[in-house]
Amino acid sequence: MSTTAAARPTPGRSAPSSGRPDDRAVARRRGPRQASGLPWILPAVVLVVGLIYFSIGYTGYVSTLDWNGFILSPSEPIGGENYREMVADPVFWKALWHTAYFFVITFAVQTVLGFVFAALMHSRIRFGTLFKVVVFVPTVLAPAIMAPVFRQIFDANGQLNRLLDAVGLDAVSQPWLADSTTAMGVVMVVTVWQWTGLTFILFYAAMSQIDPEVLEAARIDGAGNLRALRSIVWPMVRGTTAALALLGLIGALKTFDVPYLVTKGGPNHGTEFLGTYIYQVMVAEKHFGYAAAISVALLVLAIVGGVLMSVRNRRAERV
Amino acid sequence: MRTSTTTRRSRRTAAVAVSTLALLGLTACSSGGEEAAAPTGGADSGSLTWWGWTPDAVNAEKLIAAFNEEYPDIEVTFVSKPIDSYDSVLGPAITSSDGPDVFNVAPGSANGGVDTFGAAALDLTPAVEDALGEDWKDQLAPAGVDPLTVDGKLVGMSAGAVYSGGLWINQDIFDQYGLQAPTTMEEWTQVCATLEQNGEGCFVQGAGQHAFDMDTFEAIAENVEPGLYVDATEGEVPWTDERFVQAMEIWKSLFDEGIMQEGAIGLQQYPDANNAFMSGDYAMIMMGTWYTQYAVRDSMIAAMEAAGVASPEPITITPAVFPDLAGTGNTGSLFGDADYGLAVSAQTDQPEAATTFALWLGASEAGQQAVANTLNNIPALQGITPQWDQIDLVDPSRQLEPLQEYTERAGEATQPRFATVSADLNSAFEDALIGVASDDMTIDEALAALQAVQDEE
Repeated sequence: MSTTAAARPTPGRSAPSSGRPDDRAVARRRGPRQASGLPWILPAVVLVVGLIYFSIGYTGYVSTLDWNGFILSPSEPIGGENYREMVADPVFWKALWHTAYFFVITFAVQTVLGFVFAALMHSRIRFGTLFKVVVFVPTVLAPAIMAPVFRQIFDANGQLNRLLDAVGLDAVSQPWLADSTTAMGVVMVVTVWQWTGLTFILFYAAMSQIDPEVLEAARIDGAGNLRALRSIVWPMVRGTTAALALLGLIGALKTFDVPYLVTKGGPNHGTEFLGTYIYQVMVAEKHFGYAAAISVALLVLAIVGGVLMSVRNRRAERV
Repeated sequence: MRTSTTTRRSRRTAAVAVSTLALLGLTACSSGGEEAAAPTGGADSGSLTWWGWTPDAVNAEKLIAAFNEEYPDIEVTFVSKPIDSYDSVLGPAITSSDGPDVFNVAPGSANGGVDTFGAAALDLTPAVEDALGEDWKDQLAPAGVDPLTVDGKLVGMSAGAVYSGGLWINQDIFDQYGLQAPTTMEEWTQVCATLEQNGEGCFVQGAGQHAFDMDTFEAIAENVEPGLYVDATEGEVPWTDERFVQAMEIWKSLFDEGIMQEGAIGLQQYPDANNAFMSGDYAMIMMGTWYTQYAVRDSMIAAMEAAGVASPEPITITPAVFPDLAGTGNTGSLFGDADYGLAVSAQTDQPEAATTFALWLGASEAGQQAVANTLNNIPALQGITPQWDQIDLVDPSRQLEPLQEYTERAGEATQPRFATVSADLNSAFEDALIGVASDDMTIDEALAALQAVQDEE
C-alpha cells in the first residue's frame, strides 16, 4: 500500500525517472507544462530567494566586514575577525547560557500548565469557554502593550510588592527588575504568561484527536484520571509536545521583545539574549559586522537545534 | 505552439526584468556617486519634512510658527522619532528620496552622530559663510561647530547646546518641608531622610539607562577634579588613576547611602524616572539644561500629561548645583555638547528651502531667539539669551533667578559631555557603572575595563 502511494505521481512534481521509455515520454510531456507554470510561481520565488535567502547570504557577507551599517559609510573586509571576537566575548556566552536555561524552564512550565489546562477543559467544568478565552488572550496581546504594565507590577513600588507587604510578606518584597536573577525570573514569568495559551490550545486540539474508546478501555481496565493522563493521553500527544519543543527552542533563540521591553537586557546583561545583544551591538555600538556574525551564529544554532530535535523526535516515534 | 510562444514570452519578460534591474542599478550607482552642489538657502517657498528626536512637539511647533512668521510659504512638518531607534530608522530614510529633507544630527557617540550620517548631508559651510560672513565660526558657540564638522564639511547647523551636571528640584515639595537643595553628601542624606519620613520620594534616577549614569559619574569626576573626566576620554589620564577610584567610590556610595531610590538600576531614565519626577513622586532628579523647558507652564503641563498625570497642576521646578560629594569645593561644573544640528539631506529635492530653514534656526537672530525662548537649548549664536519677560514660567518668583543663573552658567561651560566619548567607551561605561552599582564588578575591575577599551582606541 505504501509502495503504491509513493509511486503515485504527485501533481505539480516530477516523479523520479526509472529510465524506462514510458517515464521519459511522461517527463517530455510534462516539461513544457512545468515551464508554463514558472511565471505563476515567479513572484513567490523572487520573494523567497530575494528577501530571505539573499538576506541570509548578505548577512554572512556583512559578518566579514568592519562596518557601522550606514550604506554610505566605508567598510573594511576583516575576514573571520568578528567570529574570533564573538568566541572571546563573555556577553555572547552569557546570552547563550540565558537562552539555554530560559528555554528549559519556560518550555517545562508552559508544557505542564498547557497540558493541565487542556485536560481540565476536556472534563466538564463550568464556564469552560470563558476559561479558554482567559487562558488564550495573552497570546494575542502585543508585548509592547503589556511591557509597561509588567514594569509597573514588578517595580520596587509596584503592585506585587504592595501585595506582598499587605499580606505580611514584606521580607520577600524587593526591586525585582534591579537584580539579574529576579529580572530573569520576571522575563520568564511574562513569557510563560504570554505563551501558555498557545500551548494549551495545541494540547487541547491534540487531546480532541484521541479516540474516546482508548480512554474508555483504559478506564475499564481500572485506570484513574491521573493514570489515564500519564499512560494514555501524555504518550498520545507526544507529537504536539515535540512540535512545541521545537517552536520553543527557536522562540528562545529569537527572544527579543519581552527582555528588551521589560528589562532592556539588564541589569548588567542579566537578561541579555542573542536578539537583544545583536540589537545593542548593531544600533547602539554601530558594529554591524559583529552583529551580523552573532546573527549567523544564531541562525546556525536554530538550524542545528531544529535538526537535532527533529531527528530525536523521529527516533522516539520509531521506538 | 502555445507552449513555445509562452516560453518566448517568459524569456522576453525575464530579459526585460533583468535589463530594468540593471538600469535601476546603474541609475542608483550614478546618483549615489554624484556630489550635489552646496546650497546657500535662498528659497522662500517649499514644503519640508524635518526628522528628529528632539525638540518636544510643543517646542517644535513654536519654532516652526516663528519660522513661518518670516517664511510663510515654506511649510515645515516635524516628525518626532524615538531617540532609541533614531539611528536605525534614519539610515534607510536619508538614502531614499522619500526621506526627510532636514534631519537632526549630533556629535560624538550620541544618536544621529555626524561621523555616521554626515555622508548623507550637504555641506552647509558656504551657506553659513553667506549668512554670517567669513568670521562665522567666531559668532557661533564652539560646541556647535567643530563637533558637527566632518573632514571640513559642516554637516549640521547647531540649534543650540544642552549641558548636564546638575540636579533639578521639585520646589513645591522642598518648600512644603522647608528644605534647601543639598550641598554635601551629609545634607543630601538628611534631605532624603526628611522626605522619606514624610512619605515623599527623594532622588530618582533610571540607573539602568547608562547615558545618564555617565552624567552623574562625570559630575562626580568634575567634583573630584575639573577636567579629569575629559582628559581620560582623550587618553591623557588613565581610568585606573586614584582619582577615578575615588569618583567610583562616590558613585557606589549613592546606592549604599540610599540616595538612589531602591531598584534604581532596574529603571530607565526615560520614561521611568522622568515620569516618576513629573508625577511628583520624587523631589530630585539628575537632568540637564533640556529640563529648563519644563519650567514653562504649557511644557510642564504637557510633560505631566505624558507622564500619566490627569488634570495636572504644573510643578515648580528649579535647577540646583550638584553637591560637593568629594569635599573638594569644586562645584557648579556643567558639561555639554550641541544638542542637535539641522542637516540638509543630500537626497532632498528642495535643498535651498531646507537650507533656508536650517540657517534660520541655527544662524539667524530670530531663529536663535525662538530657540532660546523654548528654554530647551542654550543658543548656538553668541549673545542670544532667553526673553524671560515673554516666557510663561510656572512660578516666576521662585524660578526666574535660579533659571537665569543656571542658563548663564551653562553658556559659559566648555567641558564636553559625549563628544569625546567613543561608542565603545560608551558601552564599556554601561558595564562599569551598573556593574559597580550592582556589586557584579569591583571598582578596580570596572576601571580596568574602561582603560582596556581606551587602550584599543
